Amino acid sequence: MIGRITLLFLMAIATAAGAQNLTHPLKLGLPESDFVRPDPLDFEVALDNGLIAYVGRAGQVPLVTMSAFIRAGKANDEAEGSAEVLAHAMQTMGPASSTPAAFRDQLRGMTAEYKVDLHDDWMEVTLNVPAEDLEAALTLFRETLFNPVMSQAAIDGARDKTPADESDLGAESGAALYEGSMSLAVERFEDILFSKHPYGRKPRLTDFAALSPDDVSRFYETHFVPGNITLAIAGDIDESTMRGSIDEHFADLPAAEAPPAKRLPAIGALRKKRHEFPAEKLQSWLVFGHELPQVPLADEAALEVMNYILAGGHLYTRMTVVTRYLYGYTNDASGFLEDRWSGSGTYTFRSYSRPEVIEATYENMMTEIARVRAEKVTDEELFIAKGALTDGTFQVRYLDAYAATRDFALEQLRYGDHTRSASYIERIRALTAEDVLEAARKYIQPERMQVVLVGRE
Amino acid sequence: MRIKIVATVWLALLATAVSAQHTFELPIREHVFDNGLRLLVIERPETSRVVAKIFTDMGALNETPGQFGAAHFLEHLMFKGTPTLGSRDWERERQLHEEIQLAEDTLEEALNRERNALQQRGVFHEYQHELTTTEIEELRALIATLNSQVLELNDEGPMKKWYQAYGGTRLTATTEQEYMKFDLDLPANRIDLFLRVEADRMQNSVFRNFDAERMVLVEQRYGDLNRPVSSFREAMNSLVGRSSMVYVPEGYTNDFNQYTRRYEQALYENYFVPNNTTLILIGGVTLEAMIPKVDEFFGHMTRAPEPPRYQGREPLPSAEKRLLWRSDELPPRVEIRYQIPGVGHPDRPQFEVLAAALQPYLTAELESAGIVAKVDINTRVVHTSRFGVPASINFEIDLPSASVATRAEDVVLAALAAAVAKPLQREAIDMARKQLRSDWYRTAADPNALAFEIGHFEVMDSWRTLVPYLQARDATRAADVSRLIAKYFVPINRSVGVILPETGEAS
Repeated sequence: MIGRITLLFLMAIATAAGAQNLTHPLKLGLPESDFVRPDPLDFEVALDNGLIAYVGRAGQVPLVTMSAFIRAGKANDEAEGSAEVLAHAMQTMGPASSTPAAFRDQLRGMTAEYKVDLHDDWMEVTLNVPAEDLEAALTLFRETLFNPVMSQAAIDGARDKTPADESDLGAESGAALYEGSMSLAVERFEDILFSKHPYGRKPRLTDFAALSPDDVSRFYETHFVPGNITLAIAGDIDESTMRGSIDEHFADLPAAEAPPAKRLPAIGALRKKRHEFPAEKLQSWLVFGHELPQVPLADEAALEVMNYILAGGHLYTRMTVVTRYLYGYTNDASGFLEDRWSGSGTYTFRSYSRPEVIEATYENMMTEIARVRAEKVTDEELFIAKGALTDGTFQVRYLDAYAATRDFALEQLRYGDHTRSASYIERIRALTAEDVLEAARKYIQPERMQVVLVGRE
Repeated sequence: MRIKIVATVWLALLATAVSAQHTFELPIREHVFDNGLRLLVIERPETSRVVAKIFTDMGALNETPGQFGAAHFLEHLMFKGTPTLGSRDWERERQLHEEIQLAEDTLEEALNRERNALQQRGVFHEYQHELTTTEIEELRALIATLNSQVLELNDEGPMKKWYQAYGGTRLTATTEQEYMKFDLDLPANRIDLFLRVEADRMQNSVFRNFDAERMVLVEQRYGDLNRPVSSFREAMNSLVGRSSMVYVPEGYTNDFNQYTRRYEQALYENYFVPNNTTLILIGGVTLEAMIPKVDEFFGHMTRAPEPPRYQGREPLPSAEKRLLWRSDELPPRVEIRYQIPGVGHPDRPQFEVLAAALQPYLTAELESAGIVAKVDINTRVVHTSRFGVPASINFEIDLPSASVATRAEDVVLAALAAAVAKPLQREAIDMARKQLRSDWYRTAADPNALAFEIGHFEVMDSWRTLVPYLQARDATRAADVSRLIAKYFVPINRSVGVILPETGEAS
């Protein structure tokens, strides 16, 4: 009886399928993409003092976002901790012309979203406010950027955020952890890879104790100059008026050239090693990989496509198939290309699973790494990756004025022009399976991988 | 299918006297097809992409005890493909699925025999039916063997890879208590792909690799449980609700083992019907152009009997309930919850103003009492903050020390009572409303977030409720907040949880 019901059900599927348009996606006749990257010049405002801003209107709702990108990060400070102090002060204390309490009240009054993100090579300050508060927000933004608090109180504040326990950072296996997580595993991986490298430096309590407001001020004055900053402003604005406002708020800053781009030493090649950090959790977290050298423009596209096919984030990829789809080992197994502006970045593969299958997860991921270095990818894989990158993620970078101005501002700050984005689609489309194979062999080095496991084996 | 109506509905908020300068325009255009399928479009000709979502009015509320998480599992299974997406030899594969179903039915019979024979039902996971028999093991092995034969006929990633190839991003899906949705953002001129795949997914899903996929659910659940606060929250949820499914988590370990193809198939057949489905498109498309396209891919579907609706009702509250939770991993906390009505009830929008206004008020009151606490007032239950059914408002107060727990609770309850006698200042309400307006604008600026809100309101109540909801929220006054406190924050409707360290007592 039950079998008959099943059969009837399956017949019903077949019947329905017969009436339905089930043309295969490849035969749907989907049109070619007509996407053209917007012209950055349409958004650009260049001031005489060297500051470049990108301005765009997104008028769906009465909000405005203003972002500043500064080419100065954790690896740029001469006195350890200066960047952290400045970021902390800008996040919590605001301009020197005000008080921290008044600064917080002003943000609250505007119902603002405000954040300062400090990276290794750059910093971002972003303020999002209702359009009705635009003028006050611009003034506050300008003051916070160009007249920040750099006092002993700022140093003390940053110090108080620093954990007192300085043990185990970059240490060998065995430290007991009470909170297992992916972010912790990544942090451990970077501690190991960047041990004794500027990208691995973390200010300690002793660094803050040795730091003076003058140190912070020197860092600030070196890097917070118009030629070393780009702005992105988008939202419910009149673009012409905003161009005038930018001139009004930022043109009086004295011109100063950007400091020379920093070149950090290469990371010494490590031999493959496993590092285990026990934690009593329901899952274990796995991060393995190695340094990613600075990637020349000629290799960028092939590397990106190769990683997409192998392990693009939480999508249909080779690693997903051999961990999640086939075996249910994990919810995700992905690869992360994280380049840095002044030196080596990282290329890692990450997953997590029940402890009893974490080894199998790792083995299967390594098998796919070996395969992508041994064989050419298929035509279908190449077709999918090219389409996903050119018609998907690349287009989204310019989805609206918020996204486009931000993308252009960052590109300008990092590279000094927009040639990379201009040639992106062409570079991806020109790739062959041979290019992808070459990228895999060049940029994945299994014998150098550091394997970090947090949790139970 | 005959195209019936094209209803253009421009909802522009007629401003109230209080918020005359604020409007919440949502130019949603609607078309309902003969088979009941609802299409909602916001046209944005300036963009070349489109955010596309398909909402089904079903979720965890529609599960039965012992099968918690089954709706979420169904979402996972609906990524496994169809006869025309993912199979290299459907005729052969179909036979194998029949054999698997037969084996599963026999297995269920064997399991039920063992369950019925069970004499000993222990408290601490000592259920004897977790023991197995030779017959059960053989049937499981048979299913595994058949499944491996199916896998040999499959292409993996059938519901994702074509989206990826044609520029689709945000390829996600979500199942919560009241909805399941699938999401996509793709070039607008390729919308046919979304319609073709989703219509197929809605009618022809094949539940491939069932047993491996259930372990992915276990992984997701473990991800939740790794956070110490998750277990406390679940205990609070169960303290608040006695019978409502809204408070149930996404499955317990035992549940994951109980899912069957037949149970999942029943959920699928009952709820994935056109008259229980809403398509939402925001971007570079027009309603006029979309109607024939949707008709092409969904028009063959026939209206089904109205899907069964969740009928659970909480009994009337009768007494304050309390939970003492011991943990050294969590900061000391007092958490006070009250049941509140669902979206559609006129009081519900005002609770959002209440939460936004009381947060700084209670923080200040606690500070005046010498307690520097972190106050978070939210309406989250499991992963969702709004429901069409009643749920709870939660006052989560993280304390600097366990020793102040009792006093903190007293301060909060006294402050709430005081806010009835003397309404909050108008400035506090104005600030709360402005915060909520800004939050809404941030949502509406993102077409993905906006499409979600529209779909979410449709399953909770109606998409037409969304703008009036925002309107009512923006018209809330201090007296409304006082009224809500007096009406809902009564002792018998209160559930209190206190987190203290493993050892020692609060003084």
